[in-house]
Amino acid sequence: MSGPIEPLLAVKGLSSGYGPVTILREIDIEAAPGSVTALVGANGAGKTTLMKTIAGLIPAWTGEIRFDGQDITRAATHHRVDQGIVLVPEGRMVFALLSVEQNLRLGAIAPRARKNVSERLEDTFRRFPRLHERKGQLAGSMSGGEQQMLAIGRGLMAKPRIILLDEPTLGLAPIMVKQVFAVIEDLRKDGYTILLSEQNSRLALEIADYGYILENGRVQLSGPGPELVDMPDVRRLYLGR
Amino acid sequence: MKTLSIDLVAGIVLLAAALVLPLTGMDYLVGIAFNLAMWVALTQSWSILSAMTGYVSLGHVVFCGIGAYMVALTTGSLPLAASLGFAGLAAGVSALVIGLPVLRVRGPYFVILTFGLAELVKNVIVQIETGLGQFSRLIFDAPPLNSLYLVMLGLAVAVTVAAVFVRHSKLGRGLIAIRENEEAAEAIGVPVIRLKLIAFVAAAIIPGIVGGVMLLRTSYFEAAQAFDPVISFSIVTMAIVGGSGSARGPILGAFAFVLLSELLWARFPQLYMIILGILLILFILFVPRGLSGLLDRKEARQ
Repeated sequence: MSGPIEPLLAVKGLSSGYGPVTILREIDIEAAPGSVTALVGANGAGKTTLMKTIAGLIPAWTGEIRFDGQDITRAATHHRVDQGIVLVPEGRMVFALLSVEQNLRLGAIAPRARKNVSERLEDTFRRFPRLHERKGQLAGSMSGGEQQMLAIGRGLMAKPRIILLDEPTLGLAPIMVKQVFAVIEDLRKDGYTILLSEQNSRLALEIADYGYILENGRVQLSGPGPELVDMPDVRRLYLGR
Repeated sequence: MKTLSIDLVAGIVLLAAALVLPLTGMDYLVGIAFNLAMWVALTQSWSILSAMTGYVSLGHVVFCGIGAYMVALTTGSLPLAASLGFAGLAAGVSALVIGLPVLRVRGPYFVILTFGLAELVKNVIVQIETGLGQFSRLIFDAPPLNSLYLVMLGLAVAVTVAAVFVRHSKLGRGLIAIRENEEAAEAIGVPVIRLKLIAFVAAAIIPGIVGGVMLLRTSYFEAAQAFDPVISFSIVTMAIVGGSGSARGPILGAFAFVLLSELLWARFPQLYMIILGILLILFILFVPRGLSGLLDRKEARQ
């Protein structure tokens, strides 16, 4: 799919779920280094479950997850973070009662990220000047868009090799949605690999190098993002037009 | 930094006074100071787990009881220091064993589970003792009050130093992340299960030894008394009154509690629990960050 380039992340035959409930069935996806890979689909299609399973917050039932050629299917979450797999969770989940700066510094808690924390903090503040202005403020007192930037910034502090961005525009005002997408394109320009899950299917597929459409826990369709947007079936079934 | 140095000076003055106290020969005062050191040690150890991670334990007495029981079983056949070391070890190992299943539940379920577990262990040991035909065990040749006091003081200082250290360590930052949002903590790479278990075990060892020293002070072991849930309630009360935002909170809470107890016991023994209950409610409602939080605000204003 991604040609001669080895994928950074490769998921094969993955199933998982919660308790007795199966959510993901035989999922195959890949993410090429330096690319944006989009997961789109309706609510309940399994996007967040897939993100959590890749991050290790939910165990995989069958199948395998390989990262940079290594099998990480059974690795604990903190080991995955230490290899550079960083989840920016749905709902942002900033530490509401801690300051912006404390949130960012906690992002660097993984062993791989403990060196040069101050420099990375400066980089993050340059990328998000708003966070710099508010570095002493409690994270919970900021707007949803600012909290999303903080959640992304906290993820960047972990020195990620792949960023799992789960529903980053959920509940945001249209102008903030635009900003989040601009941030995603900036991150790609800087060489980051991004796996993006979005209910905002059109926007996500338009910027994605490659896209997967999930339905009922299965991959229904996949292809280069802009090509998917142009397919009549996709337009009719998933983009509402 | 300034706050830290004021705290450091206050701590050294307090410690010097505490060390000189036995020289006065006033057993009544030494007895009060013994209680004070005991409550500081217990509340400070509780705060390492519960204030840092937000996993509020209502069964902290279980570790005291286990320590006391170990000393009751081994004293006479082991040197006293070994007996106390064994008490701490037994409490730590118990925490390791019960920690994994118990730390899987959060919030009110954790509170109820710790309370229930402490009661369970109490009743099992009551049954064992009854089965053995032992209703209470007398301890002979317990060391004099002054020696016990110095040991208790040492424990209080040790756990306070440990609490300050934890608060400023990577472990402490991980625990705070767990308290603020456990799932987010996991997502950013905090090894949550390991850290919670480390905090649980660390918080259990000192109360194990404290329980052993308490036993030597009362010089008899009776399971219902060694595992008295009122001890757990008192620890939580002191943590709330003192505030658990910093390591000085438990010290302030223990002082307020012990001094007040002395006054109330002497003057209004019947009203003791009522007044304590009212105080607890008032603090929760109006001073949620405790005495320590009040001091923080005063310092911030200056």
